[in-house]
Amino acid sequence: MVGSALKRLMAEYKQLSLNPPEGIVAGPVNEENFFEWEALILGPEGTPFESGVFRTSLHFPTDYPMSPPKMKFISDIFHPNIYPDGRVCISILHSPGDDPMGYETSAERWSPVQSIEKILLSVMSMLAEPNPESGANVDASKMWRDDREQFNKRAEVLVRQSLGLPEQL
Amino acid sequence: MESDDDYYEDDIDPDDYDDGHNFDNEDVEVDEGYLGESSVDARISSYNPDLGDDDPYPYECLSADKVVGLMNEIIREVNDIVNIPSTTLRILLAHFNWDKELLLEKYYEYEGNQERIFAEAHVISPLKSKSLARRKSGRSIEQACEICCNNYSSSFMTGLDCGHSFCKGCWSQYLCTKIIDEGMSQTISCPEFECDIIVDDAVVMNLITDQKVCRKYQHLITNSFVMCNPLLKWCPAPDCHHVIKVEYRDKRPVKCECGREFCFDCGESWHDPVLCMHLRKWLKKCDDDSETSHWISANTKECPKCQVTIEKDGGCNHMVCRNQACKHEFCWVCLGPWDPHGASWYNCNRYNAEEAKKARDLQESSREMLQRYLFYCNRYMNHLQSLKFEHKLYARIKRKMEEMQQLNMSWIEVQFLKRAVDVLCQCRQTLMYTYVFAFFLKRNNQSIIFEGNQADVEKATELLSEYLERDVTTASLGEIKQKVQDKYRYCDSRRNVLLRHVHEGYDKDWWEYIETS
Repeated sequence: MVGSALKRLMAEYKQLSLNPPEGIVAGPVNEENFFEWEALILGPEGTPFESGVFRTSLHFPTDYPMSPPKMKFISDIFHPNIYPDGRVCISILHSPGDDPMGYETSAERWSPVQSIEKILLSVMSMLAEPNPESGANVDASKMWRDDREQFNKRAEVLVRQSLGLPEQL
Repeated sequence: MESDDDYYEDDIDPDDYDDGHNFDNEDVEVDEGYLGESSVDARISSYNPDLGDDDPYPYECLSADKVVGLMNEIIREVNDIVNIPSTTLRILLAHFNWDKELLLEKYYEYEGNQERIFAEAHVISPLKSKSLARRKSGRSIEQACEICCNNYSSSFMTGLDCGHSFCKGCWSQYLCTKIIDEGMSQTISCPEFECDIIVDDAVVMNLITDQKVCRKYQHLITNSFVMCNPLLKWCPAPDCHHVIKVEYRDKRPVKCECGREFCFDCGESWHDPVLCMHLRKWLKKCDDDSETSHWISANTKECPKCQVTIEKDGGCNHMVCRNQACKHEFCWVCLGPWDPHGASWYNCNRYNAEEAKKARDLQESSREMLQRYLFYCNRYMNHLQSLKFEHKLYARIKRKMEEMQQLNMSWIEVQFLKRAVDVLCQCRQTLMYTYVFAFFLKRNNQSIIFEGNQADVEKATELLSEYLERDVTTASLGEIKQKVQDKYRYCDSRRNVLLRHVHEGYDKDWWEYIETS
């Protein structure tokens, strides 16, 4: 089982390095252990997180790709769908429940043919368009809904922080 | 009451003596109304006062294999009418929670447009699938499996009628993960992204080589069938794989082949006279002291619709109940229905002053409630404890009976002792549950009568217990026999009076209940 997971992770790593998607850099933290990755995600243009570079970690289970990896933001982030401790709440990372007819349509669920690249792209689009329906961070959801201006300010501070710039000019 | 030596000859069933000395084994009198097949255990307990012999509760005890047989029978029945492959039909039936009438109704409602029913159940219509399969077979020799990224000859690649194929190794690993880790059976879909076609049982059995996984899969299928069917229930005894099948659902005692007697409605031990709802509340309260229950109350909630206990292990607050027959959608935080949460009238976050006041009031009364609870709990636990000790008493009485038979008494003459212990256990069990009943009871005239009856049974039961514990040690058996027989008959009749009174109260709405937190 570990063997096939490793093989698949190596194949994905090769694919990501040869053909990296825009705004994403990802790879194992060290080549001894392919089950712990780090990824850098560029805040998408035209959003409050524009031009921030956010560090995330990915932890792969030994039965990958049967089960999805766990993803966590290492950089500070304030977003409706990211828990205050950095864990990402996005349906592509959820093992589907035994109810495919339920609210999570098949398009959103984890499937073994999904890939790291697809996860990272989903997270990127989640940064651009939060989903207030499932709030992982209640404060962020509330602010995003009721006081967008303050939310944008807060995001800007985080973007500067992620780039190592001083908070205010 | 007089002692009559002839009396017990018709009272004793010799079979019962060999049944093992288990306090669960309450039905000493065996009802003659024997129903159905050989596996049917239709003994109706004589002590339930509102169940005369004219009102039997027929049920069958089925082994897991028979349940599978039942399932196949339904498939055959429906197949006779609609004529589609049984693997597809099984998925359709599971989709309709094994309600064959509903399936047939829908099937004919969509007459001419039956594709829709297959799409809703996430299967490829059996008419369409043939053409797809043919197309697939014409493919090239070597293919890459999208899961493991290896190339295989097309004979090692396989898939469902949707046309997505993966290598057999990945398939088998995928199915194992779904079955073992996620406990899925009839809702496993094709591994392809955005494909929701369900894997049928023939494919699963074909691709899985591990016997353990096969067994688990079969068990899950049987389980979902039992869960969907309101007339079936698993025996709650640990490691018992029997299912009780009734003809109509009711709050009645049923007895499994393994000896466990339980209430068909709630699955707890038979708990006359207290209601299932009250017993449930009570057991939850009793458990509140244990570490497990601390964990349960801290980490789980109950589905607001079907009351199944749910643990949230991450993710969003949008909960979808996994209970096959329920599938209720609700919010984890406020336990309200999910619908408003996605909409503009979201108010999960709003503080409700009225509810806060209610909470404060509850806190004030909780101290008093605790005292009350401890009073009843103490007595409940006491009987429970005594019941456990009666196991030892059975053993001792059995030895005593053997001794007596050696001292020129006949087998039949010593049976009264066994009967006395049976009655003692029945009384203890009833008394135990009367304290649960009393805990929820509001004081009124009828409740005073109830308490009088309860006191009477309790007093007599304690005396009987004392006779059996101490007095049956000497050789003066003639005397003690009469004393014991008088006492157990008295206990038994008073117990019936007590139960009948409570049941009459249910019928006539005498009982008022206290509000509990």
